[in-house]
Amino acid sequence: MAEEPLVVEGKRVLGVVPGVPPVGDRKIPDEQESVMVWPHLLVRHAVAALAVLLLVLIVAIFFDAPLREIANPAVTPNPEKAPWYFAGLQELLSHYHPLVAGILVPGTVVLGAMALPYLDRNPDRHGRTRRVAVATFTIFLVAWIILTIIGFAFRGPDWGWVWPWNAWYGEL
Amino acid sequence: MTIGKRFRASTLGRSVIRNPNRVTTRDRAAGHWSNFFLHIYPVKIRRKEIYFRYSWFLGVASLALFGSLVVSGIYLMFFYVPSPTTAYGNIQFIQTQVPFGQYIRNVHRWSAHFMVLAVAAHMARVFYRGAYKSPREFNWVIGVVLLVLTLLLSFTGYLLPWDQLAYWAVTVGTSMAAYVPIIGEQVSNVLIGGQEVGSATLIRFYVLHVALLPTVGVVVIALHLWRWRKDSMLDTEHDQQEAM
Repeated sequence: MAEEPLVVEGKRVLGVVPGVPPVGDRKIPDEQESVMVWPHLLVRHAVAALAVLLLVLIVAIFFDAPLREIANPAVTPNPEKAPWYFAGLQELLSHYHPLVAGILVPGTVVLGAMALPYLDRNPDRHGRTRRVAVATFTIFLVAWIILTIIGFAFRGPDWGWVWPWNAWYGEL
Repeated sequence: MTIGKRFRASTLGRSVIRNPNRVTTRDRAAGHWSNFFLHIYPVKIRRKEIYFRYSWFLGVASLALFGSLVVSGIYLMFFYVPSPTTAYGNIQFIQTQVPFGQYIRNVHRWSAHFMVLAVAAHMARVFYRGAYKSPREFNWVIGVVLLVLTLLLSFTGYLLPWDQLAYWAVTVGTSMAAYVPIIGEQVSNVLIGGQEVGSATLIRFYVLHVALLPTVGVVVIALHLWRWRKDSMLDTEHDQQEAM
């Protein structure tokens, strides 16, 4: 049996929708308010993870992992290169004594990085009072990147200087 | 009723999925508490933290690459014997005979390179955001440990193909250990298992690469994420500062 239609002011009401009017009540999101992780963060993380995996899967189609001749302790390649993430260290090693470049500098950098939150007691997160911390970190970061790029791409036989567009000795 | 709804309504379905459908905020919270994979996430987070500009999603990128490395690495393990007489031949076999062998090896290699980049960039992003400050000091320390673990995982894996590139890169890398003051020779001996890189080094690096370091890595990652979750809404000092 069909229900009697509800009639208001001569018009048949099909449904009642609770909530906000379509205009005039736009909410400006508050950055500090809390939102549910499901779905707001999870969906973004899923997209980010899939994007990174897609990048890897595509790069792996076009660039093969290198495989040289079988290891031979009697034949030292020239130059001998460490993996790229240690190329900065290797470059440092060509200028300073191994105790300094191989032990003291990396040891200090790692321990210094661990101690950072205890050394930098300034509670400010993005104000002008962070200039010293930001400058120090940036100097280390830029120096490290430059050393790594030099060691990776600008060093050839006998660790001599080469221009990467003339001769390529970088290894991945 | 769809198949999914019928399953959820059945006795079996209700025993597997104990959380309600995510209709209300309360259901979503309940879903978090009863799901093992979601329980590493907080239930709520500040709106500013969900956007790309906040984190550049470098932490989740690192985790995704770690997952890719575990999956591709396990596949490669099926075809690899860590001995100087077999290792190089195994890699050639993987590249030429194993289905998708070359591709999976490429995925493993590139994931490793990208993971070093992602972890380092994550650290820099956290620094510039000032996110290492109280109350999150110790999670930064754990993060530095994870960066070192990432480098060690990558470095130990570098030797495994047993080609000229691997052999001499590891010879260069491990030669520095000999310069540790006083105990340098012992450190070097423990690391490479002898006077020069050889079969003892290969088995050591292999065990470190596939067993010890990944296990330690998983535990430390869990700790890192657990603290991230616990601290996700603890930001009062910052709030007061922003409000001023």
